[in-house]
Amino acid sequence: VKGEHLGEFEEFTLLAVRALGDNTYAVPIQQYVEKVTARAVSIGSVYAALGRLEEKGFVRSTMSEAVAQRGGKSKRVYTVTPSGLRTARDLHRVRERIWNAITEGGRS
Amino acid sequence: VSRPPRLPLAARWLLRLTSVPRHARAEVEADLLELFVRRRAEGGLMHAHWRAYHDVGSLCVRPARRSRFALLRDVIADVRYAVRLFARQPGILLLTVLGLSVGLGISTAAFSIMNSALLRGDGIVDSDRAPGVLRTTDGSTSTVWSYDEFVRLREGATRMQVEGVVGDTALVRTTAAQADAPAASVAFVSGGFFAATGGRVVAGRALEPADEPQPGQPPVVLSFIFWTSRFNQDPGVVGRTIRVGRTDAIVVGVAERGFSVPSNRLLWMPLTAYGAVYSATPVRRTPETGIQVFGRLLPGVALSEAEAQLSGVASTLPSTAGDSKLRVRLDPDTGLGRVSSSESLAIAAFVFAVIAIVLLLACANVATVLVSTAITRDREMGVRAALGASRRRIVRQLVTESLALGAAAALIGLTFAYWAIPMIGTMIEAPDGADLAPDFTVYVFLAVVTLVTGVGAGLAPALHGRGVDLVTPLKGEGAGQNRLAPRRLRSMLVVTQAAASVLLIVMAALFVRATFRAAAIDVGFDAAGVYSVSPGLGDPSADDGAAIRSFWTRAVPALQTVPGIASVTLSELTPFDGTSKTSMTGGRVVHFNSVRPEYFDTIGLRILAGRTFTRDEITAKAPVVVISESLARAYWQDQSPVGQLLAREIPGPATRPVVIGVVEDAITVRLDQRSTLAFYEPLDPGSEKFAQLMFRVAPGGSGVIQQASQRLRAIDPEADIRITSVGGRLEQEATRPRTLAALTGVVGLIAIVLCVIGLYGLTASVVGQRAREMGVRIALGAAPRDLLRLLMWDSLRPVVFGLVAGAGAALLASRVVASAMLFGVSPQDPLAFSGATVILLAAAVLAVIVPTRRAASVDAAFVLRRS
Repeated sequence: VKGEHLGEFEEFTLLAVRALGDNTYAVPIQQYVEKVTARAVSIGSVYAALGRLEEKGFVRSTMSEAVAQRGGKSKRVYTVTPSGLRTARDLHRVRERIWNAITEGGRS
Repeated sequence: VSRPPRLPLAARWLLRLTSVPRHARAEVEADLLELFVRRRAEGGLMHAHWRAYHDVGSLCVRPARRSRFALLRDVIADVRYAVRLFARQPGILLLTVLGLSVGLGISTAAFSIMNSALLRGDGIVDSDRAPGVLRTTDGSTSTVWSYDEFVRLREGATRMQVEGVVGDTALVRTTAAQADAPAASVAFVSGGFFAATGGRVVAGRALEPADEPQPGQPPVVLSFIFWTSRFNQDPGVVGRTIRVGRTDAIVVGVAERGFSVPSNRLLWMPLTAYGAVYSATPVRRTPETGIQVFGRLLPGVALSEAEAQLSGVASTLPSTAGDSKLRVRLDPDTGLGRVSSSESLAIAAFVFAVIAIVLLLACANVATVLVSTAITRDREMGVRAALGASRRRIVRQLVTESLALGAAAALIGLTFAYWAIPMIGTMIEAPDGADLAPDFTVYVFLAVVTLVTGVGAGLAPALHGRGVDLVTPLKGEGAGQNRLAPRRLRSMLVVTQAAASVLLIVMAALFVRATFRAAAIDVGFDAAGVYSVSPGLGDPSADDGAAIRSFWTRAVPALQTVPGIASVTLSELTPFDGTSKTSMTGGRVVHFNSVRPEYFDTIGLRILAGRTFTRDEITAKAPVVVISESLARAYWQDQSPVGQLLAREIPGPATRPVVIGVVEDAITVRLDQRSTLAFYEPLDPGSEKFAQLMFRVAPGGSGVIQQASQRLRAIDPEADIRITSVGGRLEQEATRPRTLAALTGVVGLIAIVLCVIGLYGLTASVVGQRAREMGVRIALGAAPRDLLRLLMWDSLRPVVFGLVAGAGAALLASRVVASAMLFGVSPQDPLAFSGATVILLAAAVLAVIVPTRRAASVDAAFVLRRS
């Protein structure tokens, strides 16, 4: 069983794949993460994160058919797996709970 | 239609240098281009370029895809695979590991001994600041000073702390009841010795200046080795009383491991205890023989400054008559048992050369085995590569395999070294206080050597598989046999092995010949039954040797009355005790000795002409000599020398003594001594303090030695009396080449076996590869005999090259190393060289002929149809 841990950048990448609608590829993901986080993101780190996510079983990839706009080059497209989705949700829920605790604590 | 946009050329070129695998490169390039176009539109050309290079750079950082344990997992898988693979060919494997472990074991043992002898040092802290103090006049340089001089130097020195030490041996009883106490080497040191050398203790305290003037029971510090061997590291030893020589001493401390200054001392006592240890009635408490003086420079003082100041002190000392004023020279490389750096460097170079040869051999053998398996494993590697294993992964597997071999061998080798080190230690006559046991440095050495051998041997077959070719090995046999590089590599390995084997076998053969030669040497007298006695009464010049002379006066009659002792004598030198007195006269070496009249009778030399000394000649120290037969022949040819004066050119103590007798020739110093020219002078009573006693036991007597020993101990129970057999010493002389012969012989034999195994495996696989070629040759009309000749020559060629190279190396090595140990066997001994060559060649032919014959008798039609 691969590790269930999800790093911050991996989480962003995973959510970006989900947000862009499945069957997206590296370039849009890079653009998206860069726009959302408002910091320069290198393509290499995106590849690395996608590789790790795939190894952990959170995303799945397939080679797409050749597309004319990329000069006939095929590309690797990514889809979030159910387990990836579940992990991202769990993470979100944990954060929510903590935030709730903080706001409650602030009131009292 | 405009041209489709492309990524900047430099970025494309740089992309090739990144770790992006080739199959993914097109995709990555497409991604980069897409980003480039987009960024150019959004932020301009400069921005797009900048970010593109930044992205390429980010690809250089290897993505950490693999989990931390992936490498370990792979290694375990590799090791398991290696074990399975090796289990399939256990015979060759076992021999390889054994060979490698012998190689590692021998080099570890050699390194361990060198480590303790040279590298570890004596444990002097900051040795450069603790120079020896040399006594210098215009005519001489000496390492020793008299006690009074030492005291004056110590008082006068202002720039350095001056200390002194005298080394000697004494009987040490650790319990009162111990009857047969062994002797131990003792250092008598001045009070600040430990402070000046930096020696520390693990228990109790070190000796201090306050110990020096103290009367009564002297304190003693034990060395770590002594504490271990005699007290089993008993922590309660401090405060105990042991008996050293003639006095009881209180153990005050135990020195830390590794501190044995100077020259492997076992005990340290104050200088002032010297008299108490050696004389029954201490006339003087301090030794009269020379004291080795050294010092510790005070902080911030330069060597030259201290030297000048101390020379000033020395110049006020009274100098010996006729000598110039005394000066001081400070030398950080002498004193305290230090070996000069050039000397230690030479020994280290020699030991490392031996280690290198042995390791090269072991390494070459493992590489040969792995290469020959690699040839048959081409197909396996091809399959692996085709299934996506990277070249790095395959190389790693090969290296893991050889490292597994190496690790197994290292363990066996270490065991071997533990077993061999004491043996080699005895062989090279290491002193008692030497700590030969491997320490941390040795383990590091073994680890590094194993790693280097393992990786080196593993890389050889990897090199062989250079440029993994996916298709050829998968297609099956027959193809791809014309790769030149691997052949050259294999030949080189065979050449190396053959050369090293020949080198070792030639050396072994030379030593074997030397053994026979040494055993056959006629020393001219009957050494069996002759024993020598050394008194062990300390400083012979103390009190003009009164103690020793009175001991001899009582010992000689005491032994003469022991039944079974045929003859007793005194002489200055006894045969084969490691000392000699010689003079070089006109290119001739003449040995001389001072003896009592009974000497010739005792060791069994017949008097050929004239007579031996008379009692009066002894007491009067008359100017008479007895000469050896060969000396008589050299100077008087056929005439009788009796009554003639000894040739003027032979320097004797008396001016031109008269020859009164001629005795048989004898070899008494070393077995390989060339010259038997000798003369004997009377041993006058004044020289008896330097003498030893010898007696001959009549054949058939039993228990004579015990009786003699009892009588001598009855005279002086405290003295370190040693009775040694002259016959035993002679035997030891003769066994020295035998041990060397055994050592090189065993290693050489292993070398040959390994070489043959490697050669067999190699030939079998090479010949197997050439089956198709053989088929074609037969189809074209070649006779099996021709094929056999061709294959044999191809396989044996590297062996022949190796033979030539090895014989050349042996010629050099034997001349340099062994000429002293060969007892007249020529270093170019044709028998040894031809013998070694024939042995290796025969072994090689045997190794080659079996697979070759099989290949030569191949069925052409079958082979050709198959491919």
